[in-house]
Amino acid sequence: MMIGKLNTNVLITLSIAAASLLVACQPKSASVVGSAADYPSKSGSIICPWAPGGGTDRLARFMADQLQKELGKPFVVVNQTGGSGAVGHSAGALAKPDGHTLTMATFELSTMHWMGISHLTWKDYEPVAELNADAAAIIVRSDSPWKSLKDLIGYIEANPGKLTMSGTATGGAWDLARAGFQLEAGLAVDAVRWIPSKGSAPSIVELLGGHVDAVCCSVPEAISQIEAGQLRALVVMAPERLSAYPNLPTAIDEGVNWSAVGWRGIVAPKGTPPDIVKKISDVCIKIVESEAYGEFMRKNGFNVELKSNEAFATFLEEQDAQWKTVIEATGYAR
Amino acid sequence: MISDLLQFHVLVPWLLAMLFGIFVGATPGLTATMAVALIVPVSFYMPDPNTGLAMIIGVSFTAIFAGDIPATYLRIPGTPASAAATLDGHQLAKQGRGGFALMIDLFCSSIGGLIGVGLLILIAPQLARFALRFSNFEYFWLAIFGLSMSAVVSSGNTLRGLISAGLGILLATVGLDIVSGAQRFTFGNAELMSGFGFIPVMIGLFGVSEVIRSVLSSPSTSESAIKTTASKDSIWEVLKTIWSKKLTVLKSSVAGTVIGALPGAGADIAAWAAYGMEQRTSKDKESFGKGAIAGVIAPTSANNAAVGGAWIPALVFGIPGDAVTAIVLGAFMMYEIKPGPLIFQQNPEQVHSIFLIALITQFLLLPCGYIGLKTFGWILRLPRNVVMVAVLVFSVVGAYSLRNSLFDVYLVAGFGLVGFYLESQKAPLAPLILGLILGPMVEENLRTGLIKTEGDLTPFFTRPICAVLVLILAAAFLAPVVLSWIRKRVQV
Repeated sequence: MMIGKLNTNVLITLSIAAASLLVACQPKSASVVGSAADYPSKSGSIICPWAPGGGTDRLARFMADQLQKELGKPFVVVNQTGGSGAVGHSAGALAKPDGHTLTMATFELSTMHWMGISHLTWKDYEPVAELNADAAAIIVRSDSPWKSLKDLIGYIEANPGKLTMSGTATGGAWDLARAGFQLEAGLAVDAVRWIPSKGSAPSIVELLGGHVDAVCCSVPEAISQIEAGQLRALVVMAPERLSAYPNLPTAIDEGVNWSAVGWRGIVAPKGTPPDIVKKISDVCIKIVESEAYGEFMRKNGFNVELKSNEAFATFLEEQDAQWKTVIEATGYAR
Repeated sequence: MISDLLQFHVLVPWLLAMLFGIFVGATPGLTATMAVALIVPVSFYMPDPNTGLAMIIGVSFTAIFAGDIPATYLRIPGTPASAAATLDGHQLAKQGRGGFALMIDLFCSSIGGLIGVGLLILIAPQLARFALRFSNFEYFWLAIFGLSMSAVVSSGNTLRGLISAGLGILLATVGLDIVSGAQRFTFGNAELMSGFGFIPVMIGLFGVSEVIRSVLSSPSTSESAIKTTASKDSIWEVLKTIWSKKLTVLKSSVAGTVIGALPGAGADIAAWAAYGMEQRTSKDKESFGKGAIAGVIAPTSANNAAVGGAWIPALVFGIPGDAVTAIVLGAFMMYEIKPGPLIFQQNPEQVHSIFLIALITQFLLLPCGYIGLKTFGWILRLPRNVVMVAVLVFSVVGAYSLRNSLFDVYLVAGFGLVGFYLESQKAPLAPLILGLILGPMVEENLRTGLIKTEGDLTPFFTRPICAVLVLILAAAFLAPVVLSWIRKRVQV
C-alpha cells in the first residue's frame, strides 16, 4: 500500500483525535496529601467494582450523595467492573492514599485471594466503615416436603449428592455460604450438588420452574415469591434473627453454629492518614444512623450493618479466616 | 388515567428522556443498558413518580431502535441488539436507500413494541409460566439453533462463515468459567477474567475496521459519508411496503416477545432468531444479505418486541429478563413498586400505569425516532473524513466509559485490526458475533444440564420442548436435502 494512496486528510484528523484522547485518558497528576482539617480539599470519588444499576452501585451512589452533603465537596461514583470484582478493588487499592478515592468494597475481597483471582486482601486497604450485610438463606418451594431445616438436613443425610441447589456461579458468595454451612452441619461438601447460575435471579426462576430443589441467596432477593406463598425460607445464616423477618430461624437457632453474610463497606487505600480515615468513618456513621439511610436500605431490601473503622478491621480479619477454611475444604483454593 | 400522563410536566421530561435514549442508542459503544442506567438517577428528581417511570420506560424502548441508525448507515451497530441491521439495512443504505430502510425500521420498531407490550398486557402470566419450563436443556437447543444461523448470515460463504463463528466461540471461552470456577486463558490478568467484553469487540470489529477501510480507500474526502436518497420515498411508500410484509412483522414480533420473555435470552438473540426464521421460510432466500426488505423488518420488529417480552418475567416474578430490566427493577424499588406475583392483586393501578406508559411510548417513538434518524442522516452527510473521526472518537470514548477501563480501548483497537483483516479475506463478521454471544450459552447450558442429570444426555432429547426444538432443527437442515432428492426422482 502506497502512502500516496492513503486518505491523508482522514489520517491527519485521526492522529489529532487520537492524541487528544490519549491526553484526556491520562490519570490526573497528584497533589499533596492533606490533613484531616482540610479534608476534603477537592472533589472525591467512590470506586464501585460492580456494574451500574446493581445493588452495590445503588449503595455507592447513595453514599456519594450523602458524603457530598456532609463534606461539602462533590463525590462521584466510578464503576470499574470486571474480573469478578478484582479490577475495581485493585484500582481502589492503588489509588493515591489521601482519602479522595474511596472504594465500595464487597464480600469478594475476603475470598478472591484464597481462590487465586487476585492477590488483594483487606490488608491492602484502610477499612473505613461497614455499611451493609445480607445473610445467606436457604429457600425451597412451598410445595416441597421440607418444612424446616431439620427436614432438609435429614433428606441430605439420607440421600447424599441428590439435592440440587443453585444461587451463584461455582465459587460465588452463596456457593461458599452453603458449603460452609454443610461443613458446620457435619455434611460432606458434595452432599449437595451445586448448580452454577449467573446469579440469584435466574436461579430463583429455576427453583420456581422445578429445575432445582433449593436456592441459597439473601432473603430480600426472593422476598416477592416468599410473600406470595410460592417459596419458603428455611433458615437464615445470620448471627441473630433479622429484624425484618423475626419468625425466620437462624442456623445457630437450629443448632448449626454458622453465619455467612455478603457485606459491603467503604475502604480507603493503604497509607491513608489515620485522622482522615477516622473523619470519613465518623461521617459514614452519621450517615448510616440517619433516617434517610434507613429509608433507602428498607426500600432496597438491604440489611443495615454498621461497623466503624476498627470494628470493620476486626470483622475483615475474621472473615478472612472463616472463608479460608471453606475454600480449602471445597477445593476452590489456588 | 391517560389524562394524568398526557400532561405538560410529564410529557416534556418523557420526550426529552426518549430523545436522550435515541442519542445514546445511536452512539456506537453506548448501549441501551447504559442509557437506562444514566436516566434512572435523573428520574428520582421528578416530583411525580409517573414522570420518572415514563422516562425510564421511554428510554428502554427508544435506545433499542436507535441502535439500528448507525448499523444501517455506517454498518456499526449502536447496541448489540442491532447487529442484524448491519446486513440488509446497510445494503439498502449503500444503494442510497438508507433513509427508506430506517423509516421502515422505525415503524416496525413501534409496531413490534406495541405487539410486545400487547402480549405483555394480555397473556403475561401464561407466557411467564411457559418461560418457567425453560431450563438449561431448552436453552442449550435454543443456542444451537441460534448458532446454526451463522450459515444463514454467511452470505453464501459457508466455510469462511464457519471459521468466523468458530473464532467467536473460541474468543468467548476466555475468562472465569462460571461452571467450574476455573480461569481460562487469563494469564493471571484480572482484566481478562471477565472475558472479552462483547461491546468493545463489536465496536472494534465493525466501527474501527470501517474507519481503517475508509482511510485506505480513495482519497476523495469531500464526498459525504452516506449516499443520499435519489428519489423521495414518501410515507405512503413506507407504509405500503410494511403492509405487504405484515405477516413478517407479526411473526417476528411474536417470536421476539416470547424470546424476550425467557430469562436466559434477550433482544439480541430475538433479532437474530427472527432474521433466521424469515430467511429460512422466505421464497426469495437469495435476496437476503443483499438489501431484502424482510431482512430489515424481521430483526427490528423482534428486538423491540423483546423489550416488551423482557418485562413479563420482570413483572410476574420480579425477576429481570436482561440487563436493562435488571436496572429498571432496581429503580422500581426506589419508587416502592415491588414487582412479583402479588403486584397484580395488591397494586393494580400501578400495573395499569406501567402498561399505559409502555403503550404510549410506542407512539412517542415515532416522532422521537424521526428526529433521530433525520439528525443522524444530516450529520452523516458531512464529509467522510469528519464523520469517520467522530466514529472513532465515539468508539473509544464509548468503550472506555463502559467500565472506565483503558483495557477495553485496547480491545477496540485490536479487534478493529482483526475485523479489517477478516473482511479483507472475505470472512463475514456476523457469524463471529453470533459465536461470541451464543458460544458460552451452548457450553454453560450443556455442562450445567449435565451436572443436573449426573451426566445423562437423554433429557436433552426427551423433554417436550427439547424434542420440539430438535425436530425443528432437524427439519431445517434436512428439508432442503430431502426436497432436492424428491425433485430429482420426480424429474427422472
